[in-house]
Amino acid sequence: MIELSHVSKHFGEDTAVDDISLHVAKGKFCALVGSSGCGKSTTLRMINRLIEHSSGDIIIDGQAIGHYDPVKLRRRIGYAIQSTGLFPHWTVAHNIGLVPRLLKWPAADVKARVEELMRLLGLPTEEFAHKYPHQLSGGQAQRVGVARALAADPDILLMDEPFGALDPITREKLQDELAKLQARLHKTVVFVTHDMDEALKLADHLVVMREGRIVQQGSPLALLQTPADPFVESLLGGLERGLKQAALTRVKDHMSSLGQTLPAQSRIPGEFSLRQALSMMLRDHCDRLTVVDQHDMPIGELSLRKVVKEAQLDKVSHRDG
Amino acid sequence: MTGDRNRGESSITVGPRWLWPIGWALLLLIGVLGIPALEPVFRWLEPDARQVIYARADFASLLARHVFVVGVAAVVTISVGVLAGIAVTRQWGRDFLPLAGQLASLGQTFPPVAVLALAVPVLGFGTLPIIVALMLYGLLPIVRNTLAGLQDVDASLKQAAFAMGMTPWQVLTRVELPLATPVILAGIRTSVTINIATAAIGATVGASNLGDPIIAGIVNGNMAYVLQGALLIALLALTVDSLFDALQQQLRTRLSAS
Repeated sequence: MIELSHVSKHFGEDTAVDDISLHVAKGKFCALVGSSGCGKSTTLRMINRLIEHSSGDIIIDGQAIGHYDPVKLRRRIGYAIQSTGLFPHWTVAHNIGLVPRLLKWPAADVKARVEELMRLLGLPTEEFAHKYPHQLSGGQAQRVGVARALAADPDILLMDEPFGALDPITREKLQDELAKLQARLHKTVVFVTHDMDEALKLADHLVVMREGRIVQQGSPLALLQTPADPFVESLLGGLERGLKQAALTRVKDHMSSLGQTLPAQSRIPGEFSLRQALSMMLRDHCDRLTVVDQHDMPIGELSLRKVVKEAQLDKVSHRDG
Repeated sequence: MTGDRNRGESSITVGPRWLWPIGWALLLLIGVLGIPALEPVFRWLEPDARQVIYARADFASLLARHVFVVGVAAVVTISVGVLAGIAVTRQWGRDFLPLAGQLASLGQTFPPVAVLALAVPVLGFGTLPIIVALMLYGLLPIVRNTLAGLQDVDASLKQAAFAMGMTPWQVLTRVELPLATPVILAGIRTSVTINIATAAIGATVGASNLGDPIIAGIVNGNMAYVLQGALLIALLALTVDSLFDALQQQLRTRLSAS
């Protein structure tokens, strides 16, 4: 658990972070979003004491971070940045095993852990263990970066625009994998990005920052439904907001029970998003879809009229609950 | 671990890059031992001289003293230069960064002959003044390259190292120095190679080394002597220079990144 209360950071005359308070519950994914220079990276680096905060309290697992030795604190917090953070003179395996080695794990344990992580991130050991970072593609390097951050199995993971340097297709793929990984590992994650779609896709808790302050925070759906001001609204995509909201909602949550006959030819799995359902309706020129389960068995129907109506009535509700 | 095995192999087998230093070293050895045998050639060059092979000391001991002088100067300059470079790039030493650069430049703008002239009254004749002169002269390339090498290490890389929980010492020894080594090595190469040639002037203040035949040859108008000293110094410089070249290539293949 991470708690920031009234935290500020001044660099001489400049205020980089201005009185921010935020709470990341254990196992939750928090995204800090904003344009460059808004203080989001500074906020992240204050958490592992790469930058010391000027005032306020930062509390990790019930203890102010000042109580921890910075070196020990950092070894129990995973940290991933853009691929530049890999050590070019070390092999992939050596890079991943860094923190366990710093923690003086026995060599056999380090090796086993490195192999486990490489499997987890889809990097075959035989192929990649002895490669150097410059021999990797951007996506592979970033996988190594994430594996390295996870190496000592930290509870907390800090990620500073980890996918910022990747091409859109690779980025999307890694986002999906990170989401899957997080669903399995339940780390407490603080994730910095300037890409709102990335944040909407990954975060449980979204924090929008501007000029060192928090403009608004809450669940992605809550922000999409009621943006606090025009700035947040424009960040969220203005007119596209409705579709982004639909992208965060599952078909299953809006379907109604099946009648006697199947409502439509077009079928959509219940796990798909409303956005995909809307797209399918546009494509197939219909206002109803048959919702199916993973075995392609019909389990309900989705009607455009109902979706539109519910979207209006929908109150702030959490993405997963 | 195939990586470990590869590393072991590359240090045992002599790759083609090591053939140059070995070749130059062999030529140097042949020169040291074989110059007396070339008496007819040198006689043809200086038909009127009483002696054509420098004989006040044998070439092997001249070479040994030459290597000793350059070696002592190199050990001191490398230690001082690299340590100074490290110190002024640390948080606590950053204030001295411009000063270190200026001092090292000053050392090189001062001609070694002038240093010798100034050092002899204080240190006396012999080997010490030339070592001091070489130290001052050889410091700049090492300090400059150590600074460049350390400053070239990507700041985000250093930050990542700290963020992973490395201590400042670990960041220096495991990240900064390994990455700066090729550049530092290039500075050491320049410094040592220049000093092999410069050390010859030590002969003027009584430090006997491969400069002796040259100075004696100039004083006595004996070109054969000059040629013998110059030949051996050149071969020594080529040996050492190609040795550094091979080392650098070795490093480059080891970390061909960036």
